[in-house]
Amino acid sequence: MVNITRRSLLQASGLAAVGLASPLSAPAFLRNAQAQSGPVKLGCLFSSSGTMANLEGRLNYVVKMAADEINAKGGVNGRTIDVLVSDPASDWPLYAQSAKQMLQQEKVSALFGCWTSVSRKTVLPVVEQENGLLYYPLHFEGDENSKNVVYVNSPPASSVLPAVDYLMGEEGVSAKRFFMLGSDYVWPRTINKQLKGYFKSKGIKESAWKEEYVPFGFSNFQTLVNQIRAFADEGGGQPVVILTVVGNSIPDFMREFANQGILATDIPVLGLDMVEADLEGLDTAKLVGHLNCWAYLQNAKGPANEAFLKNWAAYVKAKNVPFSGTVSIDPMVSAYDSVHLWAMAAAKAGSFDVPEVSKAFAGLTFDCPSGYKISMTGENNYVARGVFIGSVNDKQGFDILWQSKDTPKPVPFSPYG
Amino acid sequence: MNLTRLTAVLAGLLAALLLAPSARAQALDRAGLIANLCGNASAMGEAASVLTGLAMSGDAADRAFAVPLARAVIDRKLACDDAGAVLTENGLDAVTRQPRAAAGEPLTPVLSLKNRATYEQVDAALALRAAPEASQRAAALKTLERRPALIPEGLLEAAAAAEPDAGLKGEIETLAQTAALTAADPAARIRALARIADNPSRRALTQVSALTADPAYAASPEFRAAVDDATVRIGRGIAVGDVLATAYNGLSFASILFMAAIGLAIIFGLMGVINLAQGELIMIGAYVTWLVQQGLRVVAPSLLDWYLVLAIPVAFFVTAAIGIALEASLLRHLYKRPLMSLLATWAVSLFLMNLVRVVFGTQNLQFETPFYVTGGVPVIGDFIFTWNRMFAILFAVVTLALTWGLVRRTPFGLNIRAVTQNRDMAACIGIPTRRVDMMAFGLGSGLAGLAGLALSPIYSVNPQMGQNFIIDAFMVVVLGGVGTIAGTVVAALGIGQINVLIEPLWGAVAAKVIVLLMIIAFLQWRPEGLFAVKGRRK
Repeated sequence: MVNITRRSLLQASGLAAVGLASPLSAPAFLRNAQAQSGPVKLGCLFSSSGTMANLEGRLNYVVKMAADEINAKGGVNGRTIDVLVSDPASDWPLYAQSAKQMLQQEKVSALFGCWTSVSRKTVLPVVEQENGLLYYPLHFEGDENSKNVVYVNSPPASSVLPAVDYLMGEEGVSAKRFFMLGSDYVWPRTINKQLKGYFKSKGIKESAWKEEYVPFGFSNFQTLVNQIRAFADEGGGQPVVILTVVGNSIPDFMREFANQGILATDIPVLGLDMVEADLEGLDTAKLVGHLNCWAYLQNAKGPANEAFLKNWAAYVKAKNVPFSGTVSIDPMVSAYDSVHLWAMAAAKAGSFDVPEVSKAFAGLTFDCPSGYKISMTGENNYVARGVFIGSVNDKQGFDILWQSKDTPKPVPFSPYG
Repeated sequence: MNLTRLTAVLAGLLAALLLAPSARAQALDRAGLIANLCGNASAMGEAASVLTGLAMSGDAADRAFAVPLARAVIDRKLACDDAGAVLTENGLDAVTRQPRAAAGEPLTPVLSLKNRATYEQVDAALALRAAPEASQRAAALKTLERRPALIPEGLLEAAAAAEPDAGLKGEIETLAQTAALTAADPAARIRALARIADNPSRRALTQVSALTADPAYAASPEFRAAVDDATVRIGRGIAVGDVLATAYNGLSFASILFMAAIGLAIIFGLMGVINLAQGELIMIGAYVTWLVQQGLRVVAPSLLDWYLVLAIPVAFFVTAAIGIALEASLLRHLYKRPLMSLLATWAVSLFLMNLVRVVFGTQNLQFETPFYVTGGVPVIGDFIFTWNRMFAILFAVVTLALTWGLVRRTPFGLNIRAVTQNRDMAACIGIPTRRVDMMAFGLGSGLAGLAGLALSPIYSVNPQMGQNFIIDAFMVVVLGGVGTIAGTVVAALGIGQINVLIEPLWGAVAAKVIVLLMIIAFLQWRPEGLFAVKGRRK
């Protein structure tokens, strides 16, 4: 499960034994000695097996790539970075267990991990109790602000709501009716609750939306697509689907949607979790025009993105990474940003202690591959990111349909929930 | 009918006479149009209305000029640079139609969602007026039909007047009549109502029932009768469509359950081995199908469309061989220990999954989608007959027939049945039970491989896909009664249909729970399942 070498285990347990044997005199001295020498450790909590493997697995390599970049420039505070990888196997409680192990035994300086909100929620008490630091690279439902978590991606106010605004706007499709379909867990439930509040604030009546949930890993979408068609045909304005199913449910849903002959110009789907990797293995000619919204899209313009794409392709080739070198998705870039943001904070603080590093967050900026200069303030642990709305093209990727002028200030707690 | 045609022709002629001089006087600003096509969303909207105007009137040269433009924008084959734009399809300048290369870093405009619908409509309108082939014009008409409300007024009449193909001309006129629902002439409206009611759907119902608020509904009894009649007819069509759709969805889900469970039913029924690796054998079947596709791509690209058919024997025999190897090397040592065999097959399942993950990676495999598993046809009401589901249903029916024939009509089947009923007695009368076990395990595994093939056009194929099926498959086998084909069929049909009936009422999550509760309740009452094999089981 956790990639802990026998040596590091022996080291850790040896240390623990010494600590236990002489609790009064030795530990402070020993911990200092340990802290001054050798590489500084970072931990990854991304699954390499189970339903999330195809998406999360690649993030391990991105974190390593970012660490290699920093090491090539001499590391942080004079020490190189060592990345430890674990495999929580898409099993939510295992994320917490791996986190605990990394923090207690490996003494990692920061954790990078989790994709689904449910896994983040299980890790949250662990990082708070151990006073660790978790960088979370996914856009999510917000309504959380822990001093031990850095929310590198956007809360709904700066990702989902702009996309919904676009759909409701003149340039979009003047959407009037909303079919919300999600997997049955915390992120879809919360985001749909907030969306309903948002619709109410816009004076949209309750009869204009419908909410449906499916179990994790659900793939038989025939009946639901029938329901969506019936919903759309009731009239009353342009319908859209807001899709928050996750994992393999996304391609399976899109396939059935296209097979029943529904085009994006009939009923557009806003796939909040849809990334390029979900379109692998789909014939996207019939899906052209469906939307997603993220803080980065592969087609983002700018030298930072060009460099990132080139480095990733080279890294995949050099290290024989089992993922595509030509596909780059938002969470990859967010994980990449995370490592750099952490290194900058640690360098600014001149320390690897979590409280010191946290104090250094205010005023950090980084040239994200998305082309925006992302930034952090002292107010909270959120990162201000740009907003992209992508449109599926026939080459299994997304064209940029709209992007924000600058980076909106992140709002952790939604007023619509 | 004749009268309409005549009027249409006359109208067309009149329009041509009236509009032609003004169009000529107001010559098309070609460069301006291209600049708008390269502009922002609202400029592109303007360009679309100019193009629509060209489809309606405008002279033939301008129309021919406009034909490739809308398509190029939709396909992102218009490269905009400082000097205008280039059609990248054939490397021609968009304005002058002289060969040139795009300068610098050309931009290709992305259609906003709203403009995409308009451009599809414009492209179809232009094609309907100017495409050289009748088939292209027919396809364009199909596209226009999707959004009758967006068809520019007069376009269909003009197109019908100019259409040389008699059949297509009729179709255009029919559509023109349907689109006349909002026309001023009450007779045309009543005709349109009848046309709409011929193709019942919820959208048509919404459209027609909105007419009850129309002043003509109160004023004209004839119109009122036509609306009421159309509403009833459409309602009936929708009801029939809904029943058919539910039955079809249930049947489709049942076919998937059946394919996943049939191999397991044979193995579990015969040997009492709980084979947890069955899901992975399904997955391997899908991977073999993919390999066959990749092989054909290299060896015989012309046969690529038929890879699903050509892969049938390969998928069956590869997974059967894996099954036989599994039985011979591992399971035969564990027959007397059901718990051990359960754990061993679980280990095999994890092993196979990770082996595939290491060899092929975790991503979803890329499958070609041949024409016989793409899209669907609307039948009646809101019922759409999707071909990939039909493929799975047919596949399941054929598999059922072959398996049934094998078990009921061949000596090997006789042996299987004998061993299933009473192993010791069968051994006494000289049936080689060991070989029967091995062959039956191979048969069960091969059927799982076929399931993987049948499911590859429906589900995403990746190393984890088998996990989705194993629980459902056991549910079917246990409910059906261990080891009976008839039981497996009935249980699959029952579970599939009940799931589909419950889903729209209480949601997919509740459907799963309710079905499980029903199965538990049923097994309390009949622990041996629907069809129990009469015989002595250890």
